[in-house]
Amino acid sequence: MVRLRRTVAKLRNLLANKHAEEDLAREVASHLALLADDFELRGMSAEEARLAALRALGGVEQAKQAHRNERSLLWIEQAMQDLRYGLRTLSKSPGFTITAVLTLAVGIGACTAIFSLVNAVLIRSLPYGDSSRLVYLYTPNPQFKLPAEVFGPTYADFYDLKRESHSFQDITAFDQSIFSLASPGTAERISAARVDGDFFRTFQSSPELGREINPDDNQLGHEKVAVISHALWQSTFGSAADVLHRSLLLDGRSYEIIGVMPQGFEYPHNTDLVYGQSQYKTTQVWIPLALTPQQMADRENSRGNAVARLKPEVSIFQAQAEMATIMARLNKLHDPKVQGWGALIENFVDSAVGHVRSLLWILLGAVSIVLLIACSNAANLLLARAAGRMRELGVRVALGAGRSRIVRQLITEALLIGLAAGAIGFAFAYLFLRILPLFNPGNIPRLNEASLDMRVLVFTIAVSLLTSAFTGVFPALAVSRVNLTDFLTTTGSRSVAGAHNRVQSALIVVESALVLVLLASAGLLIRSYVNVEAVDTGFSKSTVTLNLGLDARYSQPQAVQFFRNLFARLQALPGVETVGGVSSLPLSNSEDLRMFAVDGYPNQKGQLAEMRWATPNYFSAMRIPLIAGRLFTAEERSGAHAIIINQSFYTKYFHGRNPIGGRISRQDDPGQWSTVVGVIGDVRHNSLEEPAEPQIYHPDMEFGGGYIAVRSSLPAKSLAGSIRTVLHSLDPNLAAGDIQTMGDLELEASAQRRFQTSLLALFAAIALSLALVGLYGLMAYSVSRRTREIGIRMALGAQRGDVLWLVLKKAAFLLAIGLASGLVASWFATRVIQALLFGVGRHDPITILSVCALLAVSGLLAAMIPTRRAASIDPMQTLRTE
Amino acid sequence: MSIQILQGTLDLMVLRTLATMGPQHAYGIASRLQQVSNDALNLNQGTIYPALVRIEQRGWTRGSWGQTENGREAKYYAITRAGLKALDEETERWRQMSSVVEKLLAEEQ
Repeated sequence: MVRLRRTVAKLRNLLANKHAEEDLAREVASHLALLADDFELRGMSAEEARLAALRALGGVEQAKQAHRNERSLLWIEQAMQDLRYGLRTLSKSPGFTITAVLTLAVGIGACTAIFSLVNAVLIRSLPYGDSSRLVYLYTPNPQFKLPAEVFGPTYADFYDLKRESHSFQDITAFDQSIFSLASPGTAERISAARVDGDFFRTFQSSPELGREINPDDNQLGHEKVAVISHALWQSTFGSAADVLHRSLLLDGRSYEIIGVMPQGFEYPHNTDLVYGQSQYKTTQVWIPLALTPQQMADRENSRGNAVARLKPEVSIFQAQAEMATIMARLNKLHDPKVQGWGALIENFVDSAVGHVRSLLWILLGAVSIVLLIACSNAANLLLARAAGRMRELGVRVALGAGRSRIVRQLITEALLIGLAAGAIGFAFAYLFLRILPLFNPGNIPRLNEASLDMRVLVFTIAVSLLTSAFTGVFPALAVSRVNLTDFLTTTGSRSVAGAHNRVQSALIVVESALVLVLLASAGLLIRSYVNVEAVDTGFSKSTVTLNLGLDARYSQPQAVQFFRNLFARLQALPGVETVGGVSSLPLSNSEDLRMFAVDGYPNQKGQLAEMRWATPNYFSAMRIPLIAGRLFTAEERSGAHAIIINQSFYTKYFHGRNPIGGRISRQDDPGQWSTVVGVIGDVRHNSLEEPAEPQIYHPDMEFGGGYIAVRSSLPAKSLAGSIRTVLHSLDPNLAAGDIQTMGDLELEASAQRRFQTSLLALFAAIALSLALVGLYGLMAYSVSRRTREIGIRMALGAQRGDVLWLVLKKAAFLLAIGLASGLVASWFATRVIQALLFGVGRHDPITILSVCALLAVSGLLAAMIPTRRAASIDPMQTLRTE
Repeated sequence: MSIQILQGTLDLMVLRTLATMGPQHAYGIASRLQQVSNDALNLNQGTIYPALVRIEQRGWTRGSWGQTENGREAKYYAITRAGLKALDEETERWRQMSSVVEKLLAEEQ
């Protein structure tokens, strides 16, 4: 009770401190007066009595301090004192404060921004229950030299696995389809998932409205139902409450809407499935998979995606082992010609974000380096300032401030700077996130969901505190190492400055080394980017392309007729040169791999080529060059036996032979030989960075849907408009996907590279400028400290050049050490980005030498500015002022 | 001879002084202690301030400004009811304590 009362009194004192101070001063004064009165009564003179009173009291300030210590919560009061004092001293030197705060704010802002990305992509949990229990199932076959993720289980395998395994709580199969979604007046292309009855249960997600798709919906005859996404509900149905039981027209067929999924559930995204559709970012509609009994029994050609949720007590390895056992048995049921089907279980979350994880960590590493550089800059600034304040601090020590108190004062100032920088950095991060979507390479899942949430805020505060500790500890150490009262003598301040000058120099060396690492990495990435841009894709950038498929309203002959009309109409457009069609377009993420055999070649089991069906004009529309033989002609018959191969196919399978007239058969059509009539140039198909694979083109004289390539002299935009007009006049209910030039597709294909290159280059540029500012600051400081020395040297006959060199020598020395250690660091650090390089080694001498030169030259320039000032010192002036 | 004061003892002595003499200022208390102890307690008079703050914050005294006979202004501390009660308790505690110490010292001799 009494203790509580005292605490309250102490707290009150904290607030009413001014009053208590005045009261105390008054009381001590009266005490002294009474004492002095008594001494006078004993016969002392007034002056003697006053001095005797002071002695008897035993030190006015000590008495007051004892009173203060007793009356208040000491540490809070001192902290508030430090805070007030810190704010006052900081606001007295705004130049220093602003520089330090902004420097750190840049570092903290960059860190916060990238961390918010990491948070959104890697840390924030997925909205699928405990997503760490979710797994993908694959049945890879080593006979095909293809990634395991290509092989989802066939339906027959899937249902056997489902029946026989005990590792999974739930297991679901699904597939993807692209539909034309017709609404009055318009039509759009959307991505849909066809799911079995366990899909929503496996993902532990349920609709916000209506019900999910259940096993009954997957019975044939009941499958015309659909669950739609929140986004589609908003855009197409205006969030109508009575959306349930309305109908949805997909490819001209009507589906009854039975549910609306909540916001955030748009699985599968284009980044989720390594070999899924990639044109549309999210899934908007889910309909029943509704397999026929034949499909369910198909063990060879059907391929779905399988996702399962592990039982709580089952590890991924146990599940893997069990699946391998089951697949070993199922493998024997497969076509004896192609066996070797295995089992692979992969973590769901890893599959979703695995491909960007290393990139994000690299970016986070880069911004940490930026932050480190910003910290050492700020530490250097604080050190320089502490050196300038040594006399002030010395006075405070002489007046009775304890050393720990002084150290605490310096750390408080660092803390103020750090927190201010944190606040501004947070604002920087906000701005960065605003412009981030402009950089979005499209393949980083949930990038646009990056935001400044609670976790990011905590991160920023933690980083600010760490930063403060880091920047504050140097001046604090410097101060605690020297005898501060020495600074009260005029010469003292010169003799002791050497010690933290060494710390400052060391910080500059570390900064330049770190900058070199970032510059080298950015340089290598930029060179890779240039190399990717310079890749000969094998086709023309300006060709305009679109994907078009007809829905079920068209029969096969009608579809062929439709496309004949369309091609004729497009061909007739003024400015259009050629129109061609193909089944799989380069860089469009469409693929058709098939097995084949070459006559007269030691064919391997499972050898694959990219198989294409193309109209005769496709090659000229894409400007793919003919190397030998002839192209398809208009007289070719579909299914006739003329084929065209590409350069890679020729090199690999007709080495040293004349390919024209060579014979090739397809594995799915054995004994039916086709004859090679021409060889065309290679095109980059999967990505700009992978070399071309062997390709076989078949003539397609009855083109009934796929990719259309249009070559014209018109600007792409106006041609796209004309194409839409033509399409609309042919069938207003038809939705054409994006109309893009091949150049657009190239841009998309290099988007991630642009993203990582521009971010890393940006961070390297920030780091470089911070380091230059730091170097400049150190040189300016050392010049100002050596003014007197320089004055004397010049008075004794030193020339301008001598003085310039005297000062510059130090900068050159520091830079040289920094460069050397940076080179060593880069030698190892660039291993991290090895996987991101294209056409350039990670020790590429040209890149490394150029970034060294960049750092050396810009560093010397930054050092030159204060150095020139040193050289223009008037010796007489400086000697007089000292 | 100068005495090192046990922690808390000063509080007790200040309270006792105030209870005996009535409201008194810091100088008066310090002088009184010095006098009673025959100058053995020639403490730096400033040392009394922490004790004064402590007991005032505990609510055992109340301070108010007044005039001395010589017309000097001074802060007078008066003991409160709680202060009197605390004085009794502290005195009792001191007696027990000192008797224990006395006994102990006597036996050891």
